[in-house]
Amino acid sequence: MNTLTSLEQAEKILAPWTKEAARPEPNRLDIIISGDDVFACTAALKQESWGYLSAITGLDLGPDAGALEALYHFCQGAAITTLRARLPRQGGSLPTLYPLYPVSSFFERELSEMFGITVINTPDSNRLFLPDDWPVGVFPMLKEFDPKVEQPRMETSSQTFPSQDGQKFYVPIGPQHPALKEPGHFEFTVDGEVITEARMRLGYVHRGIEKAVEGQNWVQNLYLLERVCGICSHTHATAYVMGVERLAGVEAPLRAQAIREVIAGLERIHSHLLWLGVSAHEAGFDTLFMYSWRDRETVMDILEALSGNRVNYSANIIGGVKFDIYPEQAATIRTGLEYLEERIRHYLDIVTSDTLFLQRTRGVGQINREEATHLGLLGPTARASGVLRDVRVEAPYGPYTRYPVSIVTSEAGDLEARFIVRLKELFVTINAIRTILDNLPESEMSVRVPRRIPAGETISRVEAPRGEAFYFIKSNGSDKPERIKIRTPSLCNWTAVLSKAPGSQLADAPLLIAGMDPCFSCNDRMITVKRLEHS
Amino acid sequence: MFSALQPLAQILLFPAGLFLVINGIVIEWIDRKLVARLQNRIGPRWFQPLADLVKLLAKEEILPAAANPWLFIGLPMIALAGCLTAALYVPIMGLQPAYSFSGDLIVTLYLLSLLTLSKGIAGWNTTNRFSLVGATRGFTQLFAYEAPFLLALLGPAIAARSWQIDTIIQRNAGSWIILTQPIGFLVALIGLMGKLELPPFDAPEAETEIVAGAMTEYSGRGLALFNIAKSVEFVVGLTLVAALYLGGVNNPLEYLLKTLFILVILISLQTLLTRLRIDQTVGLWWRFGTILVLIQWMVLIVWKASAL
Amino acid sequence: MRFGTMLSDIFQSLFQAPATQKYPFERTETPQRLRGKLTWDPERCSACSLCAKECPANALEVITVDKANRRYVMRYQVDRCTFCAQCVQNCRFKCIQLSSDDWELATLDKKSFTQYFGRETDVDTVLAELGDPNAELPGAD
Repeated sequence: MNTLTSLEQAEKILAPWTKEAARPEPNRLDIIISGDDVFACTAALKQESWGYLSAITGLDLGPDAGALEALYHFCQGAAITTLRARLPRQGGSLPTLYPLYPVSSFFERELSEMFGITVINTPDSNRLFLPDDWPVGVFPMLKEFDPKVEQPRMETSSQTFPSQDGQKFYVPIGPQHPALKEPGHFEFTVDGEVITEARMRLGYVHRGIEKAVEGQNWVQNLYLLERVCGICSHTHATAYVMGVERLAGVEAPLRAQAIREVIAGLERIHSHLLWLGVSAHEAGFDTLFMYSWRDRETVMDILEALSGNRVNYSANIIGGVKFDIYPEQAATIRTGLEYLEERIRHYLDIVTSDTLFLQRTRGVGQINREEATHLGLLGPTARASGVLRDVRVEAPYGPYTRYPVSIVTSEAGDLEARFIVRLKELFVTINAIRTILDNLPESEMSVRVPRRIPAGETISRVEAPRGEAFYFIKSNGSDKPERIKIRTPSLCNWTAVLSKAPGSQLADAPLLIAGMDPCFSCNDRMITVKRLEHS
Repeated sequence: MFSALQPLAQILLFPAGLFLVINGIVIEWIDRKLVARLQNRIGPRWFQPLADLVKLLAKEEILPAAANPWLFIGLPMIALAGCLTAALYVPIMGLQPAYSFSGDLIVTLYLLSLLTLSKGIAGWNTTNRFSLVGATRGFTQLFAYEAPFLLALLGPAIAARSWQIDTIIQRNAGSWIILTQPIGFLVALIGLMGKLELPPFDAPEAETEIVAGAMTEYSGRGLALFNIAKSVEFVVGLTLVAALYLGGVNNPLEYLLKTLFILVILISLQTLLTRLRIDQTVGLWWRFGTILVLIQWMVLIVWKASAL
Repeated sequence: MRFGTMLSDIFQSLFQAPATQKYPFERTETPQRLRGKLTWDPERCSACSLCAKECPANALEVITVDKANRRYVMRYQVDRCTFCAQCVQNCRFKCIQLSSDDWELATLDKKSFTQYFGRETDVDTVLAELGDPNAELPGAD
């Protein structure tokens, strides 16, 4: 069904609780409800299988307005329904959505620790991103919080290292561990080699970016947001500039959009090859690691020649891109892609036929389609379980309307499937880049955008190599943003690790973690999930 | 007096002791360099393992508070002593073994196992989570490959009707047992990989899962000794398999060529294969390893019986 | 049952040179668009300061020596720069370039990260006024 019909259906479903409805953008529906009705509305939407919970945003409307707002975003295809609930600045509370959407636990924890909103009956109310000794009652995302003032730290017992039960044997992985490329803490309770319990703590790389963007102007924020993540940097930048351009009422020229897609495709190749090497290393297959990273140098050299840097391409500006792709560079890209295509085919052959490697990946960490949908997985991790979730296909944005990509899925849902999906995705990506290079439209590189972006709100969703990245951007008409909310895909995918770890072997734990392609930097821009499962 | 010094020189200089340590370092360098070249990298320069050794010996040794200090400091020494002593019974550099007595094949293998045993106890002693898991895995692996490996090495012993390494080599001189007992050779080779904890059997030391296994808490001298012990075990293991299966080693040149041949095979296998989980290792050994070696033995026994 | 699927790769590697580059003894040629260290040409600058205003890292400051004669000096903090090239994008007269050769910027002396660009006499004037090269500029935030 198309976007308009989706939104009409949503409006009808939510009619009993609607205080006010609005269509701020052609693909968005805003429904103002009372905070207590959130659960009922979500249940109604879920009953009709309308979309999935994508993010929960907290908004501080300011000391003058004297209110906070919680926004619940549900996405179906390109249609986005947002439930808006106003809450008092202190002491506001909301019901939990955990029984309907397990992934909401993360979002609710972030909401409570950043804004001071109590979420009733949420299963875990420990800190998600903030450190354990952060003072109680200090909520960083409120407008009166000054990030320059140092906060006194509390004397508290850390939640990360709970009282050790003498009977149980805990194996900690992280925060510093050779298996992890970035710090994160996993605690596995093991019985011999079998994991019986898994816990997790995030937030080690929390940098307070959502607060920092409120103090810098729109152009400066582009570079800050580009650095949310190293290997999805271009997608973050693209999501941001697309949102800002929409608020400013401009559209980037066709050639610029095409170039954006080329860079995004090259970044995806880079990211998946990196992931292939890292996963092979976790499995103990160092030779595959070395060779895939050697071949990754090809795409990094292409990106360096094109943009000037191997990561953080700095390709986007608000209104377009900075540089052009000349025919000689297009030729270099094509040669590189030919080489990469052959090598990726070889790697696909290896991961699907090497007996010993398959022993480590086939049947491990199996998640079926219902589970994947229920857990709220995104990106290739979800597509490997047969869930048709890809923003480029469901809600094509910018250049993807002109140069579409096809979705790659697998039904198996195990680690091997995740390898297959990611590598096959690269073939699709390579073909898309070739198509664009053959059909680059002629236009200028950028359009002018005013320094003060008109007031308004917009939502930008892009498909990062790890899944859907969700941006909520609010402008108050000045040259600094009012609020930027970023929900990265890795935050939703942690449930895949934690639900599959109990019952697996300890040796599978690094592969399970690596298999969902975690990006700690992405999700920490701003947790413990306790999963008790008795074997 | 000179004859009294001779055993001392044998233990400290040649064939055991200093010579063996240097030999171990060279083998370690070849291993790392060849693996690197096979992975299209450059690899370390010739003095790297020596430099690592010197650096480790110079570093501070940190004693975990909960560990028994005697065990902590003593176990690496025992491991190294075991491996060095085992070298006295094998033909290092193609020369006659320094000592020889009936049944020294079993003693040699037992001495080589001292390394795994020491590592395991050291892992338990340091009370680190990762060490405990690593030690457990090490012991599990020991129970898995030790029997098939010993049986595979006994194949040539049966052919020579002796359990004394020197005698086996002399009686089998000229005939390449690898041709008459290929299955045994295969099991011996894979068994050597298990004994040395080379990939794919490096689960006890899986870096990405349990940091460094039983060695996690070791640094400085203790780690250096364990590393030397591992290299020495490598040399002794290679010598043993080469001497028993490849028609004996009569002079240094033959020794070098034959051990290098086996080394290259091991390195290639190391590069090609993924690490196995510990339960997969044990499963592999108890299913294929034992069955293969038992088949080999039955063939041997039948052949020997018919030859009588 | 396939073992050793990477045999073809490792066999080929025996006949190929290693993929590793022995930096610093071997260096590849850097691409022309590489975003290395910043350089500034004072001749064309009009002191619009768009470069400094939109620098995400506040690494640039434009100092006026003599407005009537268009004499300006730029202070550039190399260690703050993120090499994003927004300044290059903003400059209407192409005064700023990011070098494609000068990218080996590690140094043992932190003070060398504060660099002044401009005509020599102008830079001397500014330094004489400030005293300490790293001092806060008058009127700075």
